Amino acid sequence: MSEHDPILGRRITRRTMLQGTALAGVGAFLAACGSPAQSSAPSSEPTPVPSDGAATEMPTPSDVLNFANWPLYIDQDEGNPPKSPTREQFTAKYGTKVNYVEAVNDNDSFFGTIQPPLQAGQDTGWDLTVLTDWMAARLIRLGWVETIDTANTPNFTANLLDVYKGVDWDPDTNLRAPWQSGMTGLGFDEATTGPLTSLNTLWTADPRWKGKVWFLTEMRDTVGLTLLKLGFSSETFTREQADAAFAEIQKAVDDGIVRSFLGNDFKEGLVKGDLVLGTAWSGDIIQATLEKETLRFVIPDEGGQLWTDNMQIPKGAQHKYTAELMIDWVYDPVIAAQMAAWIQYVSPVKGAKEALAANEDPEVAALAENPLMFPDDAMLAKVHIFMGLDEAEEAYMNNEFSKVTGN
Amino acid sequence: MGPLLRRYRFLVPYLLLAPGLIWLTLYYVYPAIQMFITSLWSGSISQGYTFSFANWTNYTEALDRYSEQFIRSIVYAALATALTFAIAFPLAYTIAFRGGRYKNLLLFLVIAPFFTSFLLRVISWRTILGDDGLLLGMLKNLGAVPEDFRVLATPLAVITGIAYNFLPFMTLPIYVSLEKIDRRLLEAGQDLYATPLMTFRKVTFPLALPGIFAGTLLTFIPAMGDYVNAELLGQTPDTRMIGNVIQNRFLTNNDYPTAAALSFILMAGILVAVAVYARLLGTEELTSGAV
Repeated sequence: MSEHDPILGRRITRRTMLQGTALAGVGAFLAACGSPAQSSAPSSEPTPVPSDGAATEMPTPSDVLNFANWPLYIDQDEGNPPKSPTREQFTAKYGTKVNYVEAVNDNDSFFGTIQPPLQAGQDTGWDLTVLTDWMAARLIRLGWVETIDTANTPNFTANLLDVYKGVDWDPDTNLRAPWQSGMTGLGFDEATTGPLTSLNTLWTADPRWKGKVWFLTEMRDTVGLTLLKLGFSSETFTREQADAAFAEIQKAVDDGIVRSFLGNDFKEGLVKGDLVLGTAWSGDIIQATLEKETLRFVIPDEGGQLWTDNMQIPKGAQHKYTAELMIDWVYDPVIAAQMAAWIQYVSPVKGAKEALAANEDPEVAALAENPLMFPDDAMLAKVHIFMGLDEAEEAYMNNEFSKVTGN
Repeated sequence: MGPLLRRYRFLVPYLLLAPGLIWLTLYYVYPAIQMFITSLWSGSISQGYTFSFANWTNYTEALDRYSEQFIRSIVYAALATALTFAIAFPLAYTIAFRGGRYKNLLLFLVIAPFFTSFLLRVISWRTILGDDGLLLGMLKNLGAVPEDFRVLATPLAVITGIAYNFLPFMTLPIYVSLEKIDRRLLEAGQDLYATPLMTFRKVTFPLALPGIFAGTLLTFIPAMGDYVNAELLGQTPDTRMIGNVIQNRFLTNNDYPTAAALSFILMAGILVAVAVYARLLGTEELTSGAV
């Protein structure tokens, strides 16, 4: 579907990039342990209060917005790479300079940098951060995010796809705004396995894939799919159900079906043929099909996982109103399409698909038909967002999962 | 400067030691203390951590839960060291005694792979050892191994990976000690009617011991704590080594106390093992010969 697309070919996605910087990430983590978060983001002067008496009721955009995001996670100007049309246009409209820093390499290590000031009740220096569901949920749980004033974000309110609304850790959809998503489902090499649709295949010792199956090291992805396989929900489940899932994963390991627990590495194994079936991220399969056309990604019959990286306004942020303007800005379908064409993950914005399809460049317009970027309703109905966990539950789940993975 | 230097002569050794001492204090002693403190913490990220000597149970719990990975690390490191020795000794012997004018070239070839990154070399092993890769693909075509045979994701991959990566650390010290052997001693052995094998056993091998000692330590110690080979070539729950566990405890579970305790146990374990080993081989002669 996408192997003819030259745009995909020359692009490095965030995940590929992360693979390369995994070790650097460790270093960053260690560095982060010892240094205050403020050093990474210059905090700016307080917003001047407008002298015009009539305007005092209305907040005004600040001069600067400090935005922490993952590497390669916003559109870039092809001719002038670090520049981003989305940010430039925001600056042109509001006059705010976006201090956009690719500061998030890993949820845990970034958390390490913002945790000390948040714990001390201080400003982190960031106005917007982008973190994955579970980490976003942790910040909410700790009371470390500002509530988004939805009166300032009409686009966000109108254009957020329904599937993202009403999760248990953000019931009123005002504590986080999804940035981009990806799906976790079944990835396989159809040339070897034939067409597959069920998670049960991961527990079937079929000679075509026995010993060539991988599970993701990301606990929520693997446990989520296992819960679904067992007929439970991954959105709300009990301790007993989780334990059953861990036992089920252990069974697949003991039966010699599962070969490895992997992160991004699964892509390489899949292309080389050491692996033929496993739990996969949609975006990685899009990339890998360029190298091997027979690779497939499906949302299993039992369901799949939807994970999202979310914009949040950290507690005490200096430019909360401007951060809300930015949230609203990226929920403009035209802007969202501009970003989606570059990022190629799943956009959470209604209308982005239509805006992309209207692009005058047929190559770009064709992306609107890519089901892994714009899953249809049937696909969306089958994906689930993993339950928000409190600290004790999270520690328990991580620990049990570590036992299964040999750690 | 002359008189001044003479006057403060007693300072010279300290000045010469200073860079090393400062370096070790900053990057070894300080982190080790920090790690020791961390290993006696209890608590969590949101509640903060408290230090108490009562938390020594962190150590017993860590040992209890991860004894399997500790033992596996020792076994893998020992096997890898033995394998490295089996490859390195004949190699070093040939270069030292039969290398002739190609000695330097051969030595260069031993370290040549190390001009590329450690990670890249391990990753390229993944391609070579792949289920249908260069090696197994050929063997499978010849029918020499069954179709579902694999090397990757088995202990064999991890052990051979470690052995490969530490080969120069074994080869070079052995080479140096063999190279230093006075050839007249070998001739003397022959003059005393020793067979070549006996000369090797009574003269060559004992004189090579300092190199063997250094080489095995340089291989075994880092192999014990190795994390990359098990991470990239093993990738399966039953090949996890203690280094992988520490990484996982630290970054995935945010369980800093256990990670620190495990690191300390590893360090202490290696110290004890090295002390015993040195005792068995008799250190004094060795260190005097090794340098």
